Parts: sequence; C-alpha cells; structure tokens
Amino acid sequence: MTHTMTVDTKLLWKNALSNIKTEVSIGNFVMLFRQTTLLEVNDTTATIAAPSAMVINLLQRHTPVIKKALSLAQVSIEHVVFVPKTIVHEENAPAGKQTSSPLFSPEPQKPLSLGHLPRVRQDYTFATLAVSASNQLAFVSAQTVADKPGTSYNPLFIYGPVGVGKTHLMQAIANAVYVHTPDAKIIYITSEEFTNEVVEAIRSNDTARMKRRFRSVNLLIIDDVQFIAGKDKVQEELFHTFNSLIDNGGQIVLSSDRPPSEIKKLEARLSSRFAGGLTVDIEPPDFEMRTAIVLKKAEQLHIPVSMDVAKAIAEKEQDTRSLEGALHRVITQSKTTGQEISLDLAEITLNEKRQKTNSLLHSEDIINSVCLFYNIKPTQLKGPKRDASLVKARQIAMYLLTKELGITLVEVGNILGGRDHTTVMHGVRKIEGFLVEKSRISEEIVGISKGLRG
Amino acid sequence: MKISFLSENLQKALALTNHAVSTKNQLPILSHVLLETREGKIYLSATDLEIGIETVIQGVIEEAGSATIPAKLFLELVNTLPAGKVSLVTQEGSVQIVGGKTKTTLQTVPPEEFPKLYERKGEKILSLPGKSLQNVLKRILFTASIESTRPALSGILFKRIELGFILVATDGYRLSLEKITTEEQAGFEGSIIIPAKLIKEVLSLREDAPIDVYVDGQQNQILVAQEETVFIGRLIDAEFPNYEKILPTDASTEITVDKDVLQRAVKTCAIFARETANIITLSIQKEKMSVSSKAPSLGENVVDVDMTLKGEENDIAFNARYLLDFLAVADTQDIRFEMTGPLNSGVFRLAGNASYLHLIMPIRV
Repeated sequence: MTHTMTVDTKLLWKNALSNIKTEVSIGNFVMLFRQTTLLEVNDTTATIAAPSAMVINLLQRHTPVIKKALSLAQVSIEHVVFVPKTIVHEENAPAGKQTSSPLFSPEPQKPLSLGHLPRVRQDYTFATLAVSASNQLAFVSAQTVADKPGTSYNPLFIYGPVGVGKTHLMQAIANAVYVHTPDAKIIYITSEEFTNEVVEAIRSNDTARMKRRFRSVNLLIIDDVQFIAGKDKVQEELFHTFNSLIDNGGQIVLSSDRPPSEIKKLEARLSSRFAGGLTVDIEPPDFEMRTAIVLKKAEQLHIPVSMDVAKAIAEKEQDTRSLEGALHRVITQSKTTGQEISLDLAEITLNEKRQKTNSLLHSEDIINSVCLFYNIKPTQLKGPKRDASLVKARQIAMYLLTKELGITLVEVGNILGGRDHTTVMHGVRKIEGFLVEKSRISEEIVGISKGLRG
Repeated sequence: MKISFLSENLQKALALTNHAVSTKNQLPILSHVLLETREGKIYLSATDLEIGIETVIQGVIEEAGSATIPAKLFLELVNTLPAGKVSLVTQEGSVQIVGGKTKTTLQTVPPEEFPKLYERKGEKILSLPGKSLQNVLKRILFTASIESTRPALSGILFKRIELGFILVATDGYRLSLEKITTEEQAGFEGSIIIPAKLIKEVLSLREDAPIDVYVDGQQNQILVAQEETVFIGRLIDAEFPNYEKILPTDASTEITVDKDVLQRAVKTCAIFARETANIITLSIQKEKMSVSSKAPSLGENVVDVDMTLKGEENDIAFNARYLLDFLAVADTQDIRFEMTGPLNSGVFRLAGNASYLHLIMPIRV
C-alpha cells in the first residue's frame, strides 16, 4: 500500500484537526486523532489512516465530528473510511534523537582529503608551520601529543601573545590525529563557542547531551581558554569534562594568551589542572622567523617572493596575522597592476596601507598609548629627564610616530618636547635595530600598536 | 448482568488484564476493564490502544450483560476480598460487588464506550508449546530496545524460513538471533516485526499450554493466544536492519568457558568498570582468559577464568552490562565465544543450542 500524500490533504487534515480539537475531549484527541493521517479525499469518501483496529473502532464513533470538520474546511463527503496503518508523522518524530545503531552503520570510510573536521583549517598542518627558536618547544610538544594523544602531555597548554601561531599549532594537532586515526572523535572549539554550548544546553534543559558530546571525545582542543575567566558555570562544566576526559584517556589541548596562573577569575582547581600537564609558551616571532613565515606562506600560495621582499614585509609587521595580510596586499597589488613582486612594489604597497589605515590616528593617541603601556605621564615623555626607562619609551614613541603617522623627523621632535631631529633619527634607528634582534621590544611594540587600533 | 465467580479466579484474570491499563492514559474509558458475557462465558478485557488483553473467567452467568469497571480500583478491592464466591450485579449507572460480608457499589461508564479489541484473529502462523516458545523469546527479548525511537528496533523480527522462523532483535549495539522449527507448513511467507512490549506479555502466559500466533496483515494486527487468553497488538510497519550482513562468517579465536565462572568474573569486574563507561576487557591467552577492568580513581582488578582455546590469542573490550544481560539468559552450562579481532563484533553461542547466537559490538579502547 503506497500513499502519495499531497500537500493539500495534509493541510486540509491539519485544518480539520484543529476543528476537531474543539469538539472532542482532550483524551480523545491525543489518543485517537493525533495518530491519524488523511490519505485521500474524493467526491464521496475521505480515507483516514489510523494505527490499529482498536483505535479505528473508537474513531468510528466520531465520524459525525470528522464530517463536520471537513465540511467546515469546504470539503463535503458522505463516508469516512479508516485504514489500519501506522504512518510516522515527520513533525511528531523526535528530531535528532534517533537511536544510533553503530552495528549497522557502514564501515567508516577513509577520508580522501582533510577538511572533515569542523572549524579546523586543513592547511594548518605541522608541515606548513615555520619553526624557529621562539616556538620550537611548543612545536615538538604538539607533535608528541599528536603522535600519542592522551599518553604524553595531558593537558598540553600553549600560551603566547596574539598572532604567534597558537591556533595553527593546535589545528595542526587536530589534523595530524585525524590523518592517522580518522575515526577518532576530535572537537576543536574556541572557549567562546564552548560557553555558548553550555549556555544553550542549560537553556534547552539538555545538559546530558552536551556532557555526552564533550566527554566522549578522544581529543578536545579549546582555543583562547582565558575567555572563560569569571564564567562560573562554564568553568564548572569544563572542570568535569576535563576530569572525565583525562580519566578516560582523552587528550586535551588548551591555548591562552597567558599562563594558567595568570588568568584572573579562574577557579584554582581549574587553574591547577590546566598546569598539570605540560605548559609551553610561544614567543613572538623574531625577525628571521617573520621572514621565514612570509616565505613559507608565499610558498603555500605558489607565488615566488624574493628574500628582500620577505624581509621588507617582516620588518613592517610584527605578528603572523598581519604578516599574512601584508603578503596578500603585496600579491594583490602585483596582480592588479601587472607588476612583478619587487622590493619597490612591496614598499610602496605597505606604506600606502599605513597611511590609509592611520589617517584617523593622531599623534596624541600614540603618545597616550606609549604612556599607558609604560605607566608614565605624557609630560615625563616630553620632558627633559633621561632615565633609562623614559628614554626607551621615548624612542619607541619616536619610532611609532614616524612609522605610523609618516610625519617628518622634525615634527616628531617638536611633538616630543622640542627635540632635535637627529635625536629622533637616532631613536628610530635604535628601535629598528632592536626590532631585528630583540624580541622583547617587538613584543612591547605589538602591544602598544594593538592599543592604538583598539 | 448478574454473574458470580471465585475471587481468586477474578484476581488472577484482573492482574493479567491490568497489564494493558496505563495510568498515563488520557482517555477515561481506557482505565476501565470491560466485563461481558458472550456465548456462555465471562470475558474480561482491557487496552491502552497499543496492546489489548482479553481473558475468560470461570464463573456462573445468571443474567447476561456487560459492565465497565475502573480497573485499578477493582483489582485493589478484589485483593482484599476473602477467598470464595464473589457476585456482581449491574444496576443503573453502577455495579454492585458482593464478596463475603463486603458489599461495594462502583460507578460505571456505559460499556458501549469501550473499544472492540479485534474483529477476527487472522491467520495462524505459528503454534508452539508455551515453555519452548517462552524460552526462545527470553533469550531474544532483552536485546530489543523498547524505548527506541527507531520503530524497527523496538520489536522482534519473525522471518519465515523453511520449516520455521528466524527470530532477531537488536538495539543497534548487540543482536540476538534464534531459529525455531515448526511442524506445520503455514501459508504465511515473508516477515513481520512484533512489538517487544507484546512479547513481554507473552512471557506471562502459562508454560504448559501451546501458544498460537496469528497475523492479520490487512488489519495491521498481531494476536497471540493461549487457550482463551488473547493479546492483541499492532505490527511494526518498518524496515528491519539488514542483520545478515553483520553476522561474522568465521572466527580466528574460539573459546569455550563455563557460564557461571564467566558470569562471576564479569560481575566482579563490573564493579570497577562503573567509572569507565562499564568497559571490561577480555584478554584471551593460551592458558587462561583474564577478565579485567580499571577505575582510575580506585584501582583495577583482574579475574582469571579457565577456558579452552582454539585459534589465536586475542583481546577485546565490551560493555559489562551487555555481557551480564546475555549471561543472565544463557541457559547452558558452557558457552562458546568467537571473535576475529578487537574491532569486530564478538559472537556468543550456547553449547548444545546451535540455533542461537548473540552478538555484541566491542568497545574500541
């Protein structure tokens, strides 16, 4: 017996049912009518499916009600015929609660390519990550974890400032585990998404499902875990997830912009657990590293970029994300103008961008940011004193004023309390020198620039 | 209507029909039992529209008729009556029940409101002695998933084969299968799925009388009868999973082990497995099998079990609950276990019952 249910009969019956609902008792409606389906209506007869002879026997007593309801819906019929047949109503079928039956699910297919992992970029692998002294320890630990998830360092906690490749490293772990164990359950999630899931689970009163989801994985990666600070319920959930995963041999990888002990408003029990495995930091990339990153990215894009151009980009930008952006700008410029990627093209493109983005930036903003960062007053910065800490801040201000605003050395000198342009030149060179070799200063400059761009 | 019977007969019959009375029912009439006289017999019936139960009470009919009585209340009342004669007389809108020195008047609803449980029994597809059918069903039923949202998994497949049936149930993680042979060559072909809920009722029938199974495909109806007691349900209209393709054809490891010894070992390990999703490991070596479990916060335990091995050494992990479920229905002294690797389903068989097998999906550890 096959029935083609047209939209018409479906809609008609829906309307009729809402009528019937007002005519019969709630018990009758729930036990009898809710299980019915209108299969067919012709000139004289309506055919209705109901699950069993018992139900039909009771339904037949309501034939007048059914006829009336149908006539109110502009369909007049003489007979109502019932057919015993179970029809599962799509809208009644519990969505998403289908019992899984792994026995009968097809053999897991070996994936041909990556990219099956949600939220994980498939090009973020160990091979595409540039390694130098600044991230070597983190790199090696991540590889170890990826080789033997759950058995070596658990949890692996990676911290470092923005744009040093934490996310790349974590997704590389996910991709590597996925390649050698395609049926491993892997969740990569940001702490914000995790928070959302917890909130949603509480809202929809379905925390059990969320617990099952997170506590059954082989590899759980949470990015930017510092954002759960101050969120008690989320921390509690993470705490239990954490324990049950570790107990069951699941691997956990976490990242943050600072070490666990420095995350404020983080429960002590969680903080100590975060630090209970291996905690590694990634320092901001030094100049060589930044150059290497540019070259590596260019290679991935199959665009030849010379060492000079890479150096020029590495000099201008501090964090990896901006490096990538700068590289893309240079490439786009070369494509739109039809010029080869040369040092000149790179410099022009990068300087243009600087002026554009900074047109709204005022010299006072820079001074304030520097002062805020080093905790000094603008008058001190502009003043005559030459304490070592003041001099460093002043030189950074000089550097930033020159690079960010593109104003002349004389102007910079005037802004900073009437200093000579040669002093300014010296300061800028000094910082440039530091930038090439000393990562600490560049880290500070990234921090200040971040403050500038809000 | 004016009838009388022995209170213990009424009690037994009511206890049975009350299985079909659901407290969650929203239709008032369904919380009642129907008492009626037909062809010189007193029938008692109840239904929750999923299952209907009808039985006969031995008694004396002085005046034919019918009455619907609140089922739970009726049983509670009858349970307190002294052994002996109970008489029941219908009056206008009520019924009077007299047992010993107790006289009770109960409100009733018109019997016409009660649904008719079935028109006809349908085609008889199977008839087996109560005990042997119940034994088979017991070994299968626990595997079906009564709460399943997948209709096919909430029933037992009866598939017609030459000279009998194959019965299969699965919940998606394990599967039970048993062949039964029948004497007569019924005309019925194909396969049906009978709700596990109905099968469960069949287990309450007597062991010493044959049980007959009737099907009416047109009415979507399954009916199981023993003498004058009848269970009526609806067939499950769904496609049963293709179980044949998951049955292993051979095994690289085969052991024979004493059921009680294995059951004790699994029970012990199950205590420690509570923390780790009930995972217990069977480690099969040449000399012995080690059943073990771990609780990270407590410790671990290992129970060595004697067994005889054919084939290679192997390891496999199962959910302890699944093993215990199977071991609880395994009714032979020795059981055989076959496997090919830690990732393939393990097959349990009963020594001396070639028609049965139980298959459990392993846990990957």
